[in-house]
Amino acid sequence: MTDAATATAAAVDKLRVDDLHLSYGDNAILKGVSMRLAQGEVVSLLGPSGSGKTTLLRAVAGLEAPHRGTIRIDDRAVFDSAQRVELPAEKRNLGLVFQSYALWPHRTVADNVAYGLKLRNVPASESKTRVEAALTNLGLGHLGARLPHQLSGGQQQRVAIARALVYNPPVILMDEPLSNLDAKLREEARAWLRELILKMKLSALVVTHDQNEAMAMSDRILLLNNGVIEQQGTPQELYGQPTTLFVADFMGSNNRVPGKIAERRGNAALLAGDGWRIWGEARGAAAAGADATGMIRLERVRLAEGAGDNVIRLPLVTSMFLGDRWEYLFHQGDLRLRAYGARPLPPGDQWLQIPQESFWIF
Amino acid sequence: MAIAQAHASPTRLVVIGLTALAVFLPLGLIVYQSLLDAPFFAPHKVGLNAFGFIFADGDFWDAMKNSIVIAAAMALIAVPLGGILAFLMIRTDLPGRTWIEPLLLIPVFVSPMVLGFGYVVAAGPVGFYSVWAKDLFGGVPWNVYSLAGIAVIAGLTHVPHVYLYSSSALKSLGSDVEEAARMAGSTPFQVARDVSLPMVTPALLFSGVLVFFLGFEIFGLPLVLGDPEGHLVLATYLYKLTNKLGTPSYHLMAAVAVCIIAVTFPLVMLQRYLLKNAGKFVTVRGKAGRQRPLPLGGWRWVAATILVLWLFVTIVVPLSGIALRALVTNWGEGVKLVEVLTLDNFREVIGQPTLVRGIVNTVLIGIIGGAAAVACYTAVGLATHRKNDGWSRFVDYLVLVPRAVPGLLAGLAFLWVFLFFPPLSPLRSTIFAVWIAYTVVWLAYGMRLVSSSLLQVGPELEEAARSVGASRGRVSRDVTLPLIRYGLLASWLLVFMIFEREYSTGVYLLGPGTEVIGSLLVSLWGTGAAESVAALSFINVVLVAIGLTVALRFGVKLHD
Repeated sequence: MTDAATATAAAVDKLRVDDLHLSYGDNAILKGVSMRLAQGEVVSLLGPSGSGKTTLLRAVAGLEAPHRGTIRIDDRAVFDSAQRVELPAEKRNLGLVFQSYALWPHRTVADNVAYGLKLRNVPASESKTRVEAALTNLGLGHLGARLPHQLSGGQQQRVAIARALVYNPPVILMDEPLSNLDAKLREEARAWLRELILKMKLSALVVTHDQNEAMAMSDRILLLNNGVIEQQGTPQELYGQPTTLFVADFMGSNNRVPGKIAERRGNAALLAGDGWRIWGEARGAAAAGADATGMIRLERVRLAEGAGDNVIRLPLVTSMFLGDRWEYLFHQGDLRLRAYGARPLPPGDQWLQIPQESFWIF
Repeated sequence: MAIAQAHASPTRLVVIGLTALAVFLPLGLIVYQSLLDAPFFAPHKVGLNAFGFIFADGDFWDAMKNSIVIAAAMALIAVPLGGILAFLMIRTDLPGRTWIEPLLLIPVFVSPMVLGFGYVVAAGPVGFYSVWAKDLFGGVPWNVYSLAGIAVIAGLTHVPHVYLYSSSALKSLGSDVEEAARMAGSTPFQVARDVSLPMVTPALLFSGVLVFFLGFEIFGLPLVLGDPEGHLVLATYLYKLTNKLGTPSYHLMAAVAVCIIAVTFPLVMLQRYLLKNAGKFVTVRGKAGRQRPLPLGGWRWVAATILVLWLFVTIVVPLSGIALRALVTNWGEGVKLVEVLTLDNFREVIGQPTLVRGIVNTVLIGIIGGAAAVACYTAVGLATHRKNDGWSRFVDYLVLVPRAVPGLLAGLAFLWVFLFFPPLSPLRSTIFAVWIAYTVVWLAYGMRLVSSSLLQVGPELEEAARSVGASRGRVSRDVTLPLIRYGLLASWLLVFMIFEREYSTGVYLLGPGTEVIGSLLVSLWGTGAAESVAALSFINVVLVAIGLTVALRFGVKLHD
């Protein structure tokens, strides 16, 4: 976390989770997770399936029962194992957008949205105004009288968001909000959702398994793996400064290069394999002689004119057309590299430059 | 996934507590009474004398032997036939499948008392079909009063139970496994025998145990058909025991009841175990979803013959017998049908206040009592809905307990509850007494209806309500109940039919004010009033038919 982020977080923590543990029987799902969410901040919970990201979100919502740790919303404990505090879901005053949207099929769109206000004893006339405002805000002004099944997927998603926002919860929780939309619609919805969050100054916790979605939408990302937070930080930090092989591999498209560390000079290390040697940045404590894995993003591999520092020669296997660019596949022995370029390459050997600062050795 | 804070709310504990009371109080009284040497209201000592008496009674062992023979024969007849019928109906292109299915289920909804009486008047020594057969062949080639006759009739009328379970298993089977057998050269019947039915073995096994279990419970059929030649089964033995010693022999009846439950309870637990494991087998199924009916080709005539023959023997014969008998003054050899046709039997029924009250009560207990019962089942269902804790597991087993207590015994037990606790005794002469007994007897059935509706509600719909601030109670009221309302209406209709059909539970509760058609039939049968029995049976069948018609009209699923 950057210093600036820490400072703001300390000032106004909308949500704070400390050392949260949760298990189903003997199966530990969360193994001591701590996180903060500041006012007006969007935090994504990212991770492979089974990493515990949805469980964390549901524990914050009050739909799963942790057995240790604390959850504080607006500095009020909603769960505290030491104090035996456990507020039921309905008392936490949070907004939750479900992956499946979970619109009640027997209520109209307006009734779906109005339900939270009705439970808060908001007078009917005021409730009507607020529901209309919320629907208009989300571009659904004319659909209040429809039933959920009469709406498209994108519209249903907006109703689910309106329903979670209408009573101004301090934090809005979203469980894979875009995964039920088809691919084309998803990118538009992503931009729309980011705009909405900024416009309404929402504090949001978003679960996603899609790294691009997480990077595009959030101020900070928490990458979970196997019940613990592997790394957290801004999208740029996670993408550019991964601290572990798992994070480096999870973010972006990568070349993995297994080898042995031949030499180590401070932060720099030389990875060597069958007929090749590449200098890179050492990201672990591995000393010379140890097995290690080198990692470089596809877009960092550059074609070179000829031999040079950290330049290797590899035969081209094929060029694949991706629409906006070409992807090249090089293969020799145990070394298999992919790279991007603007044009198809002729068959034969090519010189590839591996920039030392982009080649991370774990 | 577990929802947090699944603590036991007071409402929930009250619902569970009342259910436990309604289940265990009558059962406890049966066990208690069986350990006394006289009825509980007379001077008595604790001991095993009652068991000693019935174990020394040769009739008891005869009845036990008959029960086992009949139950085993029923399973042997119903399982293959039910399996074949299910295969024909679900997997093949047999013509007329859609309209045959409701017919197949008729024996489930018609009282066995009515069916038994139907067989007596249709196929008894001087029944309609027997007389016609005698004219044709010069003799009657069957005897419905023999032990074999009873077993065959009981087996045929329990085919639908096997059909229900094997058909739902067959529905989840992919067509590819059958087509593979056809490609290898099987005829349709070889496909059924070698591929389809073996693949639904768990369902067949479960229904076999179910039919065997039901065979132990049957009361109406052996009461009516076993009487002339004196064949007793356990339930009829218990019924005839009422006055064996001059005074009501409650302790002996309780001892027999305990013996019956000692057999049925393990069978219920076995069914639960088999049902839980049935799902595992389905994993070997082929690709579900795409199902093409298997063309029967020339075999369709064989198939149609089997089906029509079964329909004729099991449904047409008894029901036409009832209808004819209700419309004639008397019947025997040499009587001409047109000369004896009459509506007097119905006029007679309407002239008797007891019978009219019985009809009114039957309708009321089906409509109002059915709704009240569904409300109770729903309350119990909601008390365990999405709460995976010790209480829910307790209720899971709790609702199974009445399943092991045949209606006849349950009615007897409730009679004792009302006699044993003086503050409750005013209820004994009201229809409420019958209603509570019916509701407890059908607890497991009703719970299955309600929980299958509840299971269809997506958990996230309820979680969404909680996350916007609704308490558990509000979630049930505003989300869960509105979503399952059609399921509950359908359950009401099914419970209505079951309550119209029920007969044995009311037998011991029968008195002024508590008459229902079912128990009146048993009592009238004892007095030999065949005309009234026929007319009442006819009315009973009509009531069930109305329920069935409404159910079909609104597309209510009659089974899973």
